[in-house]
Amino acid sequence: MPRPGFVLEVDERTPPLLVHEGEGFRMQKFPLGTRVVYPPDPLPGIRDVNAAIRHALLHPVGDAEPLPELLKAGMKLTIAVDDISIPLPPMTRPDIRQRILEQVIELAARKGVTDVQIIVATALHRRMTADEIRRMVGERVFRSFWPKDLYNFDGEDADALTQIGSTEHKEVVEISKRAAESDLLVYVNVNLVAMDGGHKSVAIGLAGYRSLRHHHNVETMMHSRSYMDPRPGHSAIADSATRMGRLLAKNGLRIFQIETTVNAETFPKNLGFLNKREWEWSAYDQGLMMASRKTNQMAPPRVRREFFRRIEAPYKITGINAGEVEPVHERTLENLHRQQLVEVRGQSDVLVLGLPYLGPYNVNSILNPILVHCLGLGYLFNMYRNMPLVKPGGVVILYHPVPWEFHQIHHPSYIDFFEEVLAETTDPATIESKYEERYATDPWYTHLYRTSHAYHGVHPFYMWYWGAHGRDHAGDVIFVGGEPKSVARLGYRAAGSFRDALEMAKDTVGSSPTITYFHAPPIMIADVV
Amino acid sequence: MGSVRNTMNELKAMKEGFRWGRRPLVPRSAEEHTEPKLDRVFPSDWARTDAGVAARQVILKAGMGPIVRNELTLRVYGRDNLSGVEAPLIFFSNHSSHLDATLIMCTLPDAWQAKTAVGAARDYFFDVWWRQAFTALVYGAFPIDRTRGAKGAVDKARELLAEGWSIVVFPEGTRSPDGHLQRFRHGAARLALETGAGLAPIAIVGAYQAMPKGRFWPRSGRPPVTIRYGEPFRPGETDSHQDLSRRMTQAVTQLFDEDRATWWEALHRANRGETPSLVGPSGPEWLRRWEGSRPVGRTGPAKVWE
Repeated sequence: MPRPGFVLEVDERTPPLLVHEGEGFRMQKFPLGTRVVYPPDPLPGIRDVNAAIRHALLHPVGDAEPLPELLKAGMKLTIAVDDISIPLPPMTRPDIRQRILEQVIELAARKGVTDVQIIVATALHRRMTADEIRRMVGERVFRSFWPKDLYNFDGEDADALTQIGSTEHKEVVEISKRAAESDLLVYVNVNLVAMDGGHKSVAIGLAGYRSLRHHHNVETMMHSRSYMDPRPGHSAIADSATRMGRLLAKNGLRIFQIETTVNAETFPKNLGFLNKREWEWSAYDQGLMMASRKTNQMAPPRVRREFFRRIEAPYKITGINAGEVEPVHERTLENLHRQQLVEVRGQSDVLVLGLPYLGPYNVNSILNPILVHCLGLGYLFNMYRNMPLVKPGGVVILYHPVPWEFHQIHHPSYIDFFEEVLAETTDPATIESKYEERYATDPWYTHLYRTSHAYHGVHPFYMWYWGAHGRDHAGDVIFVGGEPKSVARLGYRAAGSFRDALEMAKDTVGSSPTITYFHAPPIMIADVV
Repeated sequence: MGSVRNTMNELKAMKEGFRWGRRPLVPRSAEEHTEPKLDRVFPSDWARTDAGVAARQVILKAGMGPIVRNELTLRVYGRDNLSGVEAPLIFFSNHSSHLDATLIMCTLPDAWQAKTAVGAARDYFFDVWWRQAFTALVYGAFPIDRTRGAKGAVDKARELLAEGWSIVVFPEGTRSPDGHLQRFRHGAARLALETGAGLAPIAIVGAYQAMPKGRFWPRSGRPPVTIRYGEPFRPGETDSHQDLSRRMTQAVTQLFDEDRATWWEALHRANRGETPSLVGPSGPEWLRRWEGSRPVGRTGPAKVWE
């Protein structure tokens, strides 16, 4: 039985603790009494994954029939898969999506289904490249279907979208026409965090701007008190996705949902110390950390980025469930919580977060300042249930160098958002009302989204809204080691060291604040009680 | 240069934080989550066989003794108190340094040294085979389980006393963090009451200043250390273990007083109940450490050129 996560109280025996800071990490000595939240140890993986997939397809949960019975000759079958944004880092090959796709396609072939299309559910994310897709779905699937019947979703192709209707909250539901008109839609999901999967898969993954704007907005984000808690009433965005998903089902869309969960083995063996608790580091781990850190510091930026880009997570699969969306997702969440939930008692004045090199939107790319904001205040800050780890008006201290750097191909609208919009205001509501529409409908961004590998013009806005709740909750946000110019543009403050950051935080939380360091990754969810 | 300095600073921080060269420690709040260690104690009886005793005497006389005398300015008083006393005895002393057991074993009269075993913390000295072997060989040590309270600690000691072995115990249970005397636990007193063994007080003066907790070799400059053996006594028939612990504390305290002043003065002060306490000043931790680490004067005959 792997050890559960726990909260360490720093004492004089505690060694310096590892803190991620972008493409690097440092050892930080924390003040005595600091609480450090550690994730549970990795759960053991399923031994025979192929057998588990087969079992899930043949014994679905909920009212769904076994997959072979749903497949009939002459039918129109669409398979949608999650895109490159999960899992993080990308998992070692074979990707779980490849294993599932191969079995689903095998069953379809045996049943004489000929009209099969595979859509990568990118929503408004960038199109995945052919190499990325090949890596994800495997050579056999890629060679058989690419590019005609295996392609990226296009949220701006009016002819390929269809409006299903509106929910009782007047939310327009518009999704891929091919998916909507299929006799069966099979969705292959990887559930890395609690807000993935469920109704979000189809209602968001296969939707365009007209539909997404109803929940990807400041109002919804501000009322999503816990993004990672999809129970009704806790997350407005999850509630909205559920309403949309139920509308799809009501309109006759038959979805066979396949959801998978992974354990916490986030880093490969050569960076194994990143998965361990510091006082359990062997002399080898300590030497390896020092060597990696020094080599990393001395390496040219390009080499450093390439090193991190090549990291593959040796994730093991902890659960595969298939069938009806809601019962499947319930089981998925159970598995996920088994791996990620850590009970933490009460909030603290200061929350410390080390931001790693990778978020969902910079795989094979650059973590630009807006994504840093999103990763810190949108994702890591929100990895809680019930209430945030930091008190309202408390201070969030983040570690990241925040370089003023953008990927020209992947994030063109981010550049303008940073240069134009944030230069004028950082208030999410003002930004939404004044600029969103223009960026979302800008023909150049739309063109790049559809034909190149650019995120949609509106995507940086969503990233900004994503951190709106964290930004609103915290009294001050300080970046340790952040480039002052880019941090200031984000509306935050930069500090040279942790000691300086605490000194700066004095104005807000006094001279002896309670501190919590959220020691992630590996990913976890703090159940704050 | 800056980068080299940074690297050196980082290495220094790692060395301190991860206790390089010293026993790694688990943060207290993480202790319960560590895998429980196998409940296996390395056998130590072999160290008390004739061959073990012979080997120990060679090590103590040819190895440890010369090293101790080379590194410290060692003075030993009161060994004559042990002559004519019937074995076994329970030797007890204050405990402020890893030197203590070594100093006692190296300064005991030969006849006592051959048949004395030191009680050593099971969780510290009996955790890995090589440490167990070393401790058993050099000190004839037997494990004391500190986690089971007074009762658990005396199991092996009772057995040894019954076999005629004298034992050395440190009733404080652990080394003093600031050099001052800590409260005596009752294990040794209970044991004396139960077995009728005599109690021999020892005062070790200056060991904390020479090699406090955290150091694994004495300070340079041959710091002065005095070992003072007191007169053994037996528990009274009506003594409770609390009374006996108090007598034991008084005996060690009185030996310290004797070291500071004279035997005569110390006796009078003891009669008046005015023996200066060894518990140290009340106040913040730094103050206790500060006072505890105050250098001990070099007593004894002055060097000819002084």
